[in-house]
Amino acid sequence: MHKNEVVQLSSNLSKGNLKKIGNRNRGLILSILSVVLFIVVWEVVSRNEWIDPLFISSPLAIAQAAVIMVQEPTFWQNMRVSGYEFGVGFLLAMVIGIPVGVFSGWNKTFNALVNPFISGLYVTPKVTLLPVIIIAFGIGPGSKIVIVFLMAFFPIVMNAQKAMHTLDQNLIKAARTFTANELQIFKMIALPSTVPFLLTGIRLGIGQGLIAVVVGELFASSAGIGFQLTNDGQNLQTDRMFVGVFVITLTGVILTTLLGIVEKHFSSWKPEKN
Amino acid sequence: MNGTQLKNNVKLSSKYLDVTYINNKTGTEVIALQNINLDIKEGEFICIVGPSGCGKTTFLNTVAGLLKPSRGTISLDNQEVDGPGKDRAMVFQTPSLFPWRTVMANVLYGIEVQKRVSNETKKKAQDYISMVGLKGYEHHYPHELSGGMQQRVNLARALTVDPSLLLLDEPFSALDAQTREFMQEELLRIWSETKKTSLFITHQIDEAIYLADRVFVFGARPGRVVDIVDINIPRPRDLNIKRDPKFLHLIDHIWSIIEKESAKQGFQ
Repeated sequence: MHKNEVVQLSSNLSKGNLKKIGNRNRGLILSILSVVLFIVVWEVVSRNEWIDPLFISSPLAIAQAAVIMVQEPTFWQNMRVSGYEFGVGFLLAMVIGIPVGVFSGWNKTFNALVNPFISGLYVTPKVTLLPVIIIAFGIGPGSKIVIVFLMAFFPIVMNAQKAMHTLDQNLIKAARTFTANELQIFKMIALPSTVPFLLTGIRLGIGQGLIAVVVGELFASSAGIGFQLTNDGQNLQTDRMFVGVFVITLTGVILTTLLGIVEKHFSSWKPEKN
Repeated sequence: MNGTQLKNNVKLSSKYLDVTYINNKTGTEVIALQNINLDIKEGEFICIVGPSGCGKTTFLNTVAGLLKPSRGTISLDNQEVDGPGKDRAMVFQTPSLFPWRTVMANVLYGIEVQKRVSNETKKKAQDYISMVGLKGYEHHYPHELSGGMQQRVNLARALTVDPSLLLLDEPFSALDAQTREFMQEELLRIWSETKKTSLFITHQIDEAIYLADRVFVFGARPGRVVDIVDINIPRPRDLNIKRDPKFLHLIDHIWSIIEKESAKQGFQ
């Protein structure tokens, strides 16, 4: 009986579609189950003190702490500070990184001039520069903006360069036969080709930038989510500390989701995966 | 009087043309084309066949203005070719379509580059899209089209700039056998509607005979013209003529030229 229904269904829908819908739902359900299970196990482990709650807190305690914290003015003050530091640093990384990457990928002379620094600094752990950045820019937002910029800059530059190095030569040849000049080739082929690469660079840059904000604030600061997180940790308020961690995670998830929407808009011409 | 008329009738002329280039790896000079002398008349459909390495694509690229002659000249409408021009357009072996542009935007590409976008040229683009059989696909992206359809866009893009000489570089070689034959027939239909002088490169002898008024047979190492074969098959031609004894005879004839050429080179 049941089997018959399935057979009828698949004759109505195409087999591939049916499988796709089924897989998507199944995946979503499994993901939710997995997260719920993790939270339950965490709560149980913490309640029974199989692991000291001082180290791992508990989901319930964290939720309670979150409710209290969102009512504290200092929490929002810290959010503003961190948001400002990340926002300005990241914007600078894009505004400077995209043109530098694109032009160094396009122009061999410019590339020869800047590439030693880009390749060299790319592999340098930027965090090691923090002590000197703090000496130079102080413990305020300035030093955080600089470290966010430095960490987000390189993924963006490298991906922009890569885009220019992988331009489709057939398209360029076609453009030339239609009497396109260099500027037209740049605007009509090179720039559109960079979009998917730039989005990849920005995605990586977001992750790096968020790390930079927190590490910068952990290192030396007087405000910000990283600052709050450090204080709460030192006061052994693990629940409050975890709220800080979740805020950062959530920010990353929201930003990459927004980027995903932008990506979808720009790449409607790309063949769908699967 | 007669002489000037005859001269005006010549669309494309290649005189004493040599093209050489330096091999990047070995640093030695390679002669790609040697002493190419040929005339193509207004409205003619010319095919060039020859083994790989005979320089047929080099010749096409030189006519397109992408390569410079080392000696001699190519002239189009009595004007010496010096770089790419609006009077020529090329249909490429790989469709070379812009993946982020729709069919319509791809077809308008050449017009945009040449800063000639107007209601008139847009209408022309639409007409050519219809002519190549893609009406209704204007807003599709290239990845949504089959290989044959992509080559139709490639062709429409070249026609839309209204070139006086159409250059086709093995446009059907990547298509499956059935699609290829169908596209050959379509190309002849479109050509008979537009009457554009066409220079078509192929390595397939039957394709060349089916399409051309005259077939230029190129030989390899160095690339040069070894024979010119007139194809006196009346038009319009349908695909059935490919089984005609006269057609088969022409294939044999061109094969024997190429074979003889290869034997001389010691490739047998």
